[in-house]
This record gives sequence, structure tokens and C-alpha cells, in this order.
Amino acid sequence: MPVVIDMEKCGKIKDCSGEGLCIKVCEQGALIEEDGELVLVPEKCDDCDICIQSCPNQAISKKS
Amino acid sequence: MDTLVRDGDQKRSLSFRKDKCVGCGICTDICPTEALKLGPLVPIARGLVDMDYVNSDKDNCALCGLCAASCPFDALEFTINDVNIKDHEAYPQWKHTASIDDETCIYCKACETACPRDAITVTRDLPIRSKLVSGEIEIDEETCIHCGICEELCPAEAITLNKEDITAPEISIDKDKCVYCLVCKRACPVTAIKAACRTCSYGVYEIDPADAEISGNAFIVDDQCINCGWCQEICPVDAAEVSKPFEGEITYIDDFECKGDSCHACMDICPCNAISIVDGKSVIEPKFCVLCGACAKACPQNGIVIKREKINLENVRSKSWKKQMDKLAEAGSK
Repeated sequence: MPVVIDMEKCGKIKDCSGEGLCIKVCEQGALIEEDGELVLVPEKCDDCDICIQSCPNQAISKKS
Repeated sequence: MDTLVRDGDQKRSLSFRKDKCVGCGICTDICPTEALKLGPLVPIARGLVDMDYVNSDKDNCALCGLCAASCPFDALEFTINDVNIKDHEAYPQWKHTASIDDETCIYCKACETACPRDAITVTRDLPIRSKLVSGEIEIDEETCIHCGICEELCPAEAITLNKEDITAPEISIDKDKCVYCLVCKRACPVTAIKAACRTCSYGVYEIDPADAEISGNAFIVDDQCINCGWCQEICPVDAAEVSKPFEGEITYIDDFECKGDSCHACMDICPCNAISIVDGKSVIEPKFCVLCGACAKACPQNGIVIKREKINLENVRSKSWKKQMDKLAEAGSK
């Protein structure tokens, strides 16, 4: 099951203290930037969960 | 991580050496006041963020020094009245070592290449080549037509033809480069090349063993060595000897669903180059593992289990420290 992003916690990438670290750590291309916001491409997510542990805002999780 | 200092009856200081920290989290596990925290391991290991693996909370730190005493990599330095506790008889001492025996070493440089920390430097003095070849050549300038065929063919690039002055070309042989292969002699269209074979002249082909001697030096920089055992494993003459900080085993949890190529967090963080991804799964080579536990901390699936049966740390006099150190026996969960 792909990860879930809490958009309220995530906010704009320009405001992220990790400067979009989740996008950088995801090598599957399941997290991308669109118009300054984080977008999940669920079919590419491999459930490796690296994004979860790297997100400085705790905005990514496995539960909705 | 900032240096923490407290002045009281004693001056106590805890400082962090970023270049030595591998992100294993032994210090964060052992800290009795939870004053140390790990940063985002995988992004740091991949160079995506410039942060220290360890951060300290100065309000919580009691400056007890347990973290520094427990770090097998000397990444935390604790001093009392400016004396490093490593040099203090009342404090624990790590017993892991790494050495290369100069008597046995043949200076092949295999360890230097294999060392994942660039901690080994091998220098060597090679014999003079001309003393090891079985003969030498000469060019008869009178006969030579300076065609340059020998120069072009010489595999050792030992022949130089200087045609700057077209009316008086010069040909020369660098005897230090010539390997006496005789390709030049066979190719010369005017038989201007003469060969003097030592075997033919003296009947036997003998090289003074002293001329063939190789001397050198293999040196481990203790500050960079993490005792992973690569040098010991790769050395063809068993000149390298390594003892590790922990004895025990590293395994995966039973129902581990390794994400392999998608993740490779373990491989990226491993300071020992002991982990690779094979057929989409993490594979650990225990020979090179120091059981530091960085991979277990980095694995997003919590799939790696470290079991430490013995800690090569001696002179742990404090019972409370001993008790706290026993917590290092099993690592894996965060």
C-alpha cells in the first residue's frame, strides 16, 4: 500500500526544511514536485518507506 | 554536534568528531538521559543534507562520558580537566586493533585498494628494471638509417628518435625502460641493432637477489581505521591482522520484506562496505561487518537485527555503566 501524505503538515516545498528531501530520497520517482507542491505517484511507490523516515515534517505515513 | 562543556569541581567536555562518526547510534542507545539523537541517517549518508549524524541536547546531557567511552570509532571525545578519558586508567578501554606486519607484507597494495575508509597507505621501492632484464641492446649509429621503425614498435617506449635536425638525426635507448624483448632487433631493416644477451655471454641467467629486492612500508592510519577486516581478508600473505570491537552476529528478521534496489539504505550507510544488493535483496558479508548497527538504524523496514555477544571493551569499573552497556547486546529496533 503506497504511503499517504498529510498535505497540511507537508506544505509548500519551498517551506520544507528538508527542501523536498522525500523527493530526493525516493529513487522510484513516486514523489514528484508539481507547482511547488509534493505529489505522490501511487503506482510507482514500492513501500520502501525511506521517505517516511526522512521527512522533517512527519507528513508522510502509512495510515490515512 | 556542538561541544558541550561544564565547569564545576571538574571541567568536563564532550566534543564530536564528524569525520569519525559512522551513524551507528550506539551513543544514542546508551545515553542514560536521552540527550543524544540521531539525524536523518539515509539523507546524510547519501550526501543529500549536510548534517551531523548525532545531535545533542545540552540541557539533558549530564556529561557523564558514557557515550564517548562506548563509541568504538572515537567519534565522541570526552575530557575531564583536559584529560581524555581514553587515557585515564579509571575509564574503559577498547581492545580492538588493526595492524600490518612489515616483515610479512609484500607491498602488493591490495589492502590499500580494498580499505573502505582509505586508512591504509602502502609505499614501495621497486628494483631498477635494467638490473632485472636478461640483456641489453645497442644501436650502431653508422648503420642506422633513422627510419624510426624500432621507435614505433618498442612496447616499452625505450627508443627515442630525434629528427629535429633532419641532417643529423639521433637515436637513443633508455636502458631503464628497455626490457630486452628484441622486437627492435627483429624489425630493423638494416640490422643496426646489436643485442648482448647475458645468458649467452655468461652461460647462466642469474640476477643478484639483492637487485630484485622490494622494500616498502604499509601504514594504517588509526584515526581512519574502523577495524572492518577488509585488509585482513584480502591480504594474500596474511600480513594484516584485525580484531573487531564486537563479536556476535547480524541477521534479518524472519518475515523481512527487503525493498532492495528501491531502498538500499543499509548499503549506503554501512561504513565497512559490507553490504550489497544482490538480486534485489540486501546481502551482508559478516566478515567485513563490525556489528555497529548503523544499517539496522537506517533500514526503514526495521529488518536487520544485530546480536552482540561480546564487547571488546575492558576496564568497565562502574556497575551502572556496565548495566547500561549490556543494552548494546541487541540492537535493531529504533
